Amino acid sequence: MIILAKCALALTSTIVVAGVYTFREGVIKIDVDEHRDGGSHVHFWVPAAAVPMAMHLVPKHHFGDIPAEASECLPLLKIVTSEIRHYPDTTFVDVRDGRDHVRVATVGTKIQIDVVNSEENVHVTVPLSTVNDVANQLAADAPGV
Amino acid sequence: MSQLLQRAISQHLARRASVALAAAVLLAPVALYSQSVSITSDSSKSSDRWLHVRVVSTESKNETVRVNVPLDMAEKVLPAINKDRLHNGKVRFNDADMNGVDLKTLLDAVRTAKDGEFVTVQSNDSDVRVAKQNGYMLVHVAEKHFGSGKDAKPTERSRVDVKIPMKVVDALFSAGKDELDLVAALHALSAHGDTELVSVKSDDNTVRVWLDSKNIAD
Repeated sequence: MIILAKCALALTSTIVVAGVYTFREGVIKIDVDEHRDGGSHVHFWVPAAAVPMAMHLVPKHHFGDIPAEASECLPLLKIVTSEIRHYPDTTFVDVRDGRDHVRVATVGTKIQIDVVNSEENVHVTVPLSTVNDVANQLAADAPGV
Repeated sequence: MSQLLQRAISQHLARRASVALAAAVLLAPVALYSQSVSITSDSSKSSDRWLHVRVVSTESKNETVRVNVPLDMAEKVLPAINKDRLHNGKVRFNDADMNGVDLKTLLDAVRTAKDGEFVTVQSNDSDVRVAKQNGYMLVHVAEKHFGSGKDAKPTERSRVDVKIPMKVVDALFSAGKDELDLVAALHALSAHGDTELVSVKSDDNTVRVWLDSKNIAD
């Protein structure tokens, strides 16, 4: 009986620790709703910690296919994501044009991008640390950065 | 008998202690995580200077653009952008861009001059005024519009006001002869108090660029 209780305790603690580790950096939340008939409705949450881990599994030669324009932005992305987290919640860019609305803001330690127009609604929330990790990894592995 | 009782009590205590320890171990990461989140979100700098840009267009669909950028961040980000003429936070220009005007010499003349009006143009179409006043470089352009009647008075069609601290202008031209040092200008700007830098008002558009210590626009 005691052995069973010990096993249950070990299993529970492993699950909780694994859960805390996985969600320690928050979640990436993506919502896409197309307004047209039969349009896509995509809603998913991914633990942010999973992304840098998954990047390690991508064969290195694929990083060579990153477009030059994207490679040029990586140092910028690294600086912005490491700096932006020192500021309070802020709407950095807000553009409204009739029914179109684009907003880039920080909420806590996450960056939130909202695009709302007559064709679709897109809401993306990503922890800044994840963007920074991904930019660092891409910069380390992409040639010429 | 007493030995058995003692053993049972010690086993009971040991089990309680192990459960308490396990709970502490389980909750520690959660507590640490929540602590780190609160620390990160509280670490905003109150003395930050923010550059705000607001464009309101009434032309078609009431387009509005709002940009809020902390100057500190802009200072760090600009040197990382190396594209076309922008390198290491400096913009390169050549004589052809200036139509033969030696901007540096012109600026030196303005800097050493006393406060006053340098350019005043008043015509039927527009009024232009360039002046130096209380450490600021002021530019004012007003475009006029005449009504259809014979005795119609001119009305202002658009108005542009630019107010730049001279220290910022100095910093802007502190690099080489053919360069504008944007990072130095931003650094000089961050030392200034709340200032409206650019204001454009016309029938269709309103543009405002200003500096303050708030992270939200009006």
